[in-house]
Amino acid sequence: MFYLSRIEHTFRVPPSLLNLPIEEAIKGELEKLFLDKVIADLGLCVSVYDIKSIEGGFIFPSDGAATYTVVFRLIMFRPFVGEIIAAKVKESNATGLRLSIGFFDDIYIPAHLFPKPSSFKPDPNKKDKGTWEWEYDEEPYIIDGIDEIKYRVHNVSYPPIPIEQPKEAKPFAPMVITGSIDEDGLGPVSWWVDAEETKES
Amino acid sequence: MKILEANAGALTNYEVVDFLRSKGAANDSTRVLAQVSPSEYKVYDYLVQTAACNQTREHINEFVDKCKIYGLAKAEVLNIINIRPTSIIDIYTIIEEGETRFGDETRFGEVSKELAELVEKTLPPPPTDPESEAGINEGKEETENEEHNVETKGEEQTKEGNDDGKEETVVGQLMDTS
Repeated sequence: MFYLSRIEHTFRVPPSLLNLPIEEAIKGELEKLFLDKVIADLGLCVSVYDIKSIEGGFIFPSDGAATYTVVFRLIMFRPFVGEIIAAKVKESNATGLRLSIGFFDDIYIPAHLFPKPSSFKPDPNKKDKGTWEWEYDEEPYIIDGIDEIKYRVHNVSYPPIPIEQPKEAKPFAPMVITGSIDEDGLGPVSWWVDAEETKES
Repeated sequence: MKILEANAGALTNYEVVDFLRSKGAANDSTRVLAQVSPSEYKVYDYLVQTAACNQTREHINEFVDKCKIYGLAKAEVLNIINIRPTSIIDIYTIIEEGETRFGDETRFGEVSKELAELVEKTLPPPPTDPESEAGINEGKEETENEEHNVETKGEEQTKEGNDDGKEETVVGQLMDTS
């Protein structure tokens, strides 16, 4: 789920930070650069873990600031394929579910990764929203959005930054997790609590 | 930017919580003063709702030691610690191709059962129902204080805990910090 990544980066430390100790100034700049950002193939940066080395401090001609080369480690949120994560429902429509884990909400469960047979029941009051139902033993199991949903990470993709975006497109998501709930033990937590009880009794 | 090492080690949810706490993240009103960015707080807020909230390094070390005999992959152990599955069916989903790895289905069932019991025994339960959650949160805030003056005020904290009727959580937390 969370990983450390070691990165080297060369950047300018503006002279306004000269009054701070060098580590603090650099840490602040790193946080500004990386925090809450997605690095392709590394994941979402959660925090600056530590700074390994600071080198340089060279002032380039006609530049009023020192340039440092810093080696540091970041805490990255990068789920691995096959990992089980619990998340809450954010959206439910005909194409599938969108889940959220608070700090990250580009998690999609597409319709073909639902347990079969599943069906979508549109909500007449809300435009293109509705609930999903899984039919098992002729009993409907409803995904109601109250429970947490356990899903298996099916794929993690880092779509390239679009050059031109249509006006009404969704905001660009730099990291998208595709999840599956088509397996025993996955889906809303309550489905399986009940199952376990009936088995034991 | 040069990526020297994409994977310099995996962290459990607990380690991330611990790191954020060491930076000053907490659930009380001092959060505006702490050196923690809003995005880090989002991660913290998510993680304190998970099983990682009440875990300690000792719990995790104990669990990792005890499940060595099953020969699980590192990712699976990590996933078990993060999710804290206590039912057989949850273990089933985390362990890949258990039937072939552990011989047959019955053996895998036994292993899953043992693992579920082990998880129940070694890893502390997450805050689930709202009532106990409130208790644990308060207990935790007290722990944050204790970390600074654990030697001097440790006993007083326990007494306060008793008065509040939250004996269990506070005592538990005290043992964790000692």
